Amino acid sequence: MKINKYIIGLLSATLLFSSCKKFVDVNQNPNAPTDVPPSLLLPTTQVGIANASSGELGRAASVLVQHNAGIGSQQFSFDQFVLDGLGNNSWDYELFIGSINNLVIMINKTQATSPAYAGIAKIQMAYAFSLLTDLWGDVPYSQGGQGLLFPQPRYDKQQDIYEGNTGLGITSLFDMVRNGIADLGKTTVLAPSAADDMIYKGDLLKWKRAGYSLMLKLANTISVVNPTLAKTVTTEVITANNYINANNLDFEVPFGTATGSQSYHYAFNVVNRPLDQMLSTRFVTLVRGLNDTVRLGKLYTKPGGLFVSTNNGAAAPTGASTAALRSVFSSYIVGTAGEAPVRMLTNFQSNLNLAENIVRLGITGNADSLYKAGIRAHMTKIGMTTTEIATYFTDNPLAVTLTGTTANQLQQIVTQKYIAYTGMEIEAYNDYRRTGIPTLALPLVTQGDNPSVIPKRYPYVSSELSSNPNAPNPRTKTDVKVWWGL
Amino acid sequence: MHMRKIIVTLTVVLLFVINATAQNRSVSGKVTDDKGKPLQGVSVSSLDGKYGTMTGKDGNYILALPTTVKTLLFTSVDLETNTIAVNSNTVNATMAAAEKKLQEVVVTALGIVKDKRALGYATQSLKNDQIANKGAIDVISSLQGKVSGVDIVGASGAPGASVNINIRGIQSFNGNNQPLFVVDGIPISNDVDTRNAGSLGTLGNDQSNRALDIDPNNIESVNILKGPAAAALYGSRASSGAIIITTKKGAAGKGKADISLNSNYSFQHASGLPKFQNQYGQGANGVYNPASGLSFGPAFGATPTLANGLLLVSGATVPYQAQPNNYADFFDVGSTWDNNLSINTGDVNQNNSFSLGNVSQKGILPNTKLERSNISFGTNVVVKERLKIGGKVTYTNIGQTGVLTGNGNSSLGRLISGLPRNVDMLFYKKNYKNPDGSNNWPIAGSANPAFYAYENPVTSKVSRINGNVSLGLDIKSWLNVSYRLGIDAYSDRKKQVFAIGTIGQNTTGTVSESSYFRSEINGDLLITAKTNKLFTKNLKATLLVGQNVNQRRYQRVTARGDQLAIPNYYNVNNASVFTNSGEFTTIQRLLGYYAQTTLSFKDYLYLELTGRADKSSTLPKDKNLFFYPAASLSFVLTDAIPAIKSNILSYAKVRGSWAKVGKDADPYILSQSFLKTSYGNNVALTTFPITAGTQTYAGFAANSTIASSSLSPEFTTSSEIGINLGLWKNRLSIDATYFSSESKDQILQLTIPTSTGYDSRWANAGKMTNKGVELLVNLVAISSRTFKWEVTANYTKIKNNVEYIAPGVTSSSINGNAFGGSVPSFMVGQPYGIILGNKIPTNADGRRLVDSTTGLYRTAIANQPISNPNPDYTFGITNSFKFKAFTLSVLFDYRHGSQILSWTSALLKSSGAMDITSIDRDKPRILPGVIETAGGKFRENNIQIPAQSYWNSGSGYGGLQTDLNVYDATVLRLREMSLSYEIPPSEFSSKSVITGVRFSVFGRNLWYHAPQVPIDPEVNTQGAGNIRGLELQSGPNSRTIGVNVKLSF
Repeated sequence: MKINKYIIGLLSATLLFSSCKKFVDVNQNPNAPTDVPPSLLLPTTQVGIANASSGELGRAASVLVQHNAGIGSQQFSFDQFVLDGLGNNSWDYELFIGSINNLVIMINKTQATSPAYAGIAKIQMAYAFSLLTDLWGDVPYSQGGQGLLFPQPRYDKQQDIYEGNTGLGITSLFDMVRNGIADLGKTTVLAPSAADDMIYKGDLLKWKRAGYSLMLKLANTISVVNPTLAKTVTTEVITANNYINANNLDFEVPFGTATGSQSYHYAFNVVNRPLDQMLSTRFVTLVRGLNDTVRLGKLYTKPGGLFVSTNNGAAAPTGASTAALRSVFSSYIVGTAGEAPVRMLTNFQSNLNLAENIVRLGITGNADSLYKAGIRAHMTKIGMTTTEIATYFTDNPLAVTLTGTTANQLQQIVTQKYIAYTGMEIEAYNDYRRTGIPTLALPLVTQGDNPSVIPKRYPYVSSELSSNPNAPNPRTKTDVKVWWGL
Repeated sequence: MHMRKIIVTLTVVLLFVINATAQNRSVSGKVTDDKGKPLQGVSVSSLDGKYGTMTGKDGNYILALPTTVKTLLFTSVDLETNTIAVNSNTVNATMAAAEKKLQEVVVTALGIVKDKRALGYATQSLKNDQIANKGAIDVISSLQGKVSGVDIVGASGAPGASVNINIRGIQSFNGNNQPLFVVDGIPISNDVDTRNAGSLGTLGNDQSNRALDIDPNNIESVNILKGPAAAALYGSRASSGAIIITTKKGAAGKGKADISLNSNYSFQHASGLPKFQNQYGQGANGVYNPASGLSFGPAFGATPTLANGLLLVSGATVPYQAQPNNYADFFDVGSTWDNNLSINTGDVNQNNSFSLGNVSQKGILPNTKLERSNISFGTNVVVKERLKIGGKVTYTNIGQTGVLTGNGNSSLGRLISGLPRNVDMLFYKKNYKNPDGSNNWPIAGSANPAFYAYENPVTSKVSRINGNVSLGLDIKSWLNVSYRLGIDAYSDRKKQVFAIGTIGQNTTGTVSESSYFRSEINGDLLITAKTNKLFTKNLKATLLVGQNVNQRRYQRVTARGDQLAIPNYYNVNNASVFTNSGEFTTIQRLLGYYAQTTLSFKDYLYLELTGRADKSSTLPKDKNLFFYPAASLSFVLTDAIPAIKSNILSYAKVRGSWAKVGKDADPYILSQSFLKTSYGNNVALTTFPITAGTQTYAGFAANSTIASSSLSPEFTTSSEIGINLGLWKNRLSIDATYFSSESKDQILQLTIPTSTGYDSRWANAGKMTNKGVELLVNLVAISSRTFKWEVTANYTKIKNNVEYIAPGVTSSSINGNAFGGSVPSFMVGQPYGIILGNKIPTNADGRRLVDSTTGLYRTAIANQPISNPNPDYTFGITNSFKFKAFTLSVLFDYRHGSQILSWTSALLKSSGAMDITSIDRDKPRILPGVIETAGGKFRENNIQIPAQSYWNSGSGYGGLQTDLNVYDATVLRLREMSLSYEIPPSEFSSKSVITGVRFSVFGRNLWYHAPQVPIDPEVNTQGAGNIRGLELQSGPNSRTIGVNVKLSF
């Protein structure tokens, strides 16, 4: 019958669809891989920590330590201690989601068979966590970055993060680095190379040096609050004698000249927000006091041969309406087109840290020669000529020689670090909060949690306050010191 | 209704059989009213509509009829339908004024036409004349204020800006809460393509939702199915209700045509701009500063001195005067041409329809426009006596140009944050660039808003085709099998450019070409069996069994080039960086099986039972088949117990329904993935691959959302009860509904602490409830032959509550772009969509606490619910007056109590531009609040601060991201007004080509009253989506005034 044919036709057409079991089996994601090798995660984590240190966290530090004065937008607010919203992106995306999480994944992937990657990952992770704890104090550490294993990570005490706490299952930052260094010496199937290791092109010996320099920096950070541990670690580093002791060994992430490959320093200061910050008059004054303006001229631009600066809390001077008319970060920091590396652990830093630890902790060693080496290393790094360096050393023997009481010598060392940390301001901010050196006056206008106290920490980020019941809420005020601070 | 259909169908079949031998005869007669006055324009036809005519001026008619036609049907609007047996060749009829009819039939799910009395759930229908020619060119906006239970808010007044629509509140935490759009039985896409991401994350450009593509002129009716019960047959996608659109079809009668030509022309003006001060100009702390975007400089007319900056060292003075209209000058007067030609021929059985439409709109924002063209053709044919074939195809073409809006480096971003009161915007709009092409603006390093508008536009070109074919076969008189196939496919080619020299971002030039493609194939097999007599003649039954196949594809291909070499050459091959290019594609499929049975007892008690099982591609294989049922009951009291019928009570019906709807997941969220890495935001960003020196590095990172392989379908259960009353011969009709819904174990992207290494995870979690009432009242207040006054009013009150989210989770953010510090969220114990932001601490009496040293407010407490976008209730009332040939229709709507966080308002305060900031500008100001003296003791704040500190956006009264910037958006609005004149049909001779002419003038959004907000609060940066009540420097709303001419042939 005709009609039956129609029905059979219609029904079979539909049943054809439904009988096909594979019809609904189309949920394989064509847009993203479900797994990637460690060589693709490594660059992500390296750029992540570089961006964290050179991004908003470093920018806020640069006005808080008064290298720069904030003129516009966020930098203006940060300069006046209004820190709300500071570091949201850094904490969320650059540190925990971008770096730490992928480092955890790398370690889990490679610990057994390719520990070269695991070792590098641990050193980078210790650096990332040091940024977190130094700026925020108590932070998620032993339970941080581990996905749903700890859906609401505990906030570990900063003391425990530095010292470790067996009872709470907290490995110290020092042990994390030590484990990393140990991994670097093991047999490995996969190893990083120039194609994926942006920092050391796969040279594991250099990674060991970075590990020791990082331990030295961590020891330096706790040298006031826990001199015993700082001394042990410093002695360990001196004994191993395998830290960053040449400028070409510096732990730094290279960037490029194309949009998207440029460093945050360049993207912010040159491309997108050229008018937001400029050289602080207070920094100029300090440097002039040390007769060190040639060096400052390599760190900041000099429109018309002069330093055009402004006071913290003031507007830009009349006539200095564009970046070209102001002293701003030089090409040493931003590059000529964004290619300057982001420096995280350097030769000058290791020398000056060692000098400080020797003086402060009473360790045997020649602090003065390390002090001089540190200054020279920095001057060389920023492009001062040998003549310029020699002239400075000849003309300013008092400045380049450790003299007087321990306190005096510490003042000298930390002041040198303060200058050398231009472009690495988180380190300067750590030193200031730990030592009170140099003496900084309040900006002309201040607000924030406590307008009369230069912030001693960053306020916890909103994402944590809203989703992690372990985060201190109300958040700790910015006038409360961190464990190692003053 | 079904029974009548069957009878008609049977009659038709019989007629065919007998037709061969039938002979024609001429029947004539006169039709008069109950007072004996002749009636013109009454339709006289056979019951099947095959033979018919109209009465002339004298009420007479002549009709050639076969002898088989035994009965004539006399119908006319507003008159009681009359059927008279043809006993001789003269058939006269008397027609009485009709008892006002309650709407009889509605188009429900799957295009099934149902008698309204049989429905156990609420629906609301609007006809063409209620939506078209009222100043809205998109169908969603045209529903505003007219439908109970429905909340509609547009993004802005920009051309084609998306419009959010939610029916009966929000049901899904993370999913789509827009109703399903169905045109002629086929679901179509109403998606919004693209949200800017990465460096453009906070910028919007008023993208469209694709319901915009529908031409309201071509719509016959819109039926809103409000609850999931109504939409159970569409399955999961209609869990937020469905908008059933029926386009025009030929129904004039065999061999006749309805031809109409409809033209609108209208003007749009920016509406709801804030009020400005004109006493103080550019600068800060009373000192003129040409580099400042603020208006805290010296007073206009102040004596120029070196101190106030108006006198230069050179001795020259600074030109300095107020530009009172500079903000408004930025906006254009928009205009809209809207033309439509439609030709519809045939009758119910055989018809053709053709429609051609064009809208050409120039927007209120500079350099914005919209061009929409639609063409459609449809046909329905009875091929053999039992086989029906039909189909319709529509092609739509859209061209849209938009400008960037939103906080930061956008047109509106710059206008709102950086226009001091003395800058001549009219001049700088004309001269936005220098001869060398660079940005021209008096504030160095700052962008001219017009530069952004003219040089960095976003264009979209949509090409869309949708259509359906259907095949229906009456196997037996009681059994029908049909198949309907629908296809909807479109591409949207978007292009975003940034000129070289743009200030603020993408400074080296960018061109981004994105091609979006969506397609949907939907097939339904329907087998319908009916009986008039199930066991007893009192019981009628219909059984429907169906199968649904649905496939949706989506693809987005982006080719983006940065760092352009040659200015004004916007081709990707002009670029040197391509790292933001890529593809994203999805496919999802669904197989559904459903059955519905309708039982009707004595035509006054109706029971409908529905069940559906879906198998979805997006769920884990062991959980991808899910079933959900629905039931509804309708009881027409006045028919069951005729005794209660009286002169007052004409009609009474009670109804109730219960339904459960299941929903599947998004594609590809079951397994973890890795994505190409990019870091940063609009101030600095890095994107892999990164090239440093000679080496290029690729970088991938784990997706920041944790996948879940154990997701199960989410379910929403809802129930409603309602009553329909007709009083005084139905002159007053009332439709009242109480509804409640509960959504549980939703598939949602749950915010987790980023210290886990991720920011969210997919999970089944949460529980949310909605409870509400809807009221729809229609009153014919006066009805005489010359004057009619009709009032239609609707009222909606919905209470939403988030009951719980997940263990240890008290709040989670809603997907979409927002700033940390003003986060649209759901929070336990709060209604969905509240904004979590900074709240200034208060004492027990609710007074704000002021810092004892600064005189500014104390540091705000983060993550507090500060703004609730949900209205307490909404109300709309249409008054329509018909006097002879004139019709005046006025729609007011009222929205009570929703809140809005408005960055425009905050920034205009903190920049010293808004009118209120000039009050006591030169005097010391004191923030309202108290100072804590000792634990728990407070004194009134008496610390004097300058006006600029008073209004600052951090801890002052400007309060960008604090509760100080939350406004009560209660608004009364004159939504629509139209006055039309229709030339009476009697004026046209029977030979006239033109058979009808109507003129009208109309206005939309003519007036509003929102006393608590500095701007028109009917804006929302996200537009269509789950983020509501957040205005991040959006474009303003618009006001429309226009004229309309409609010619019928």
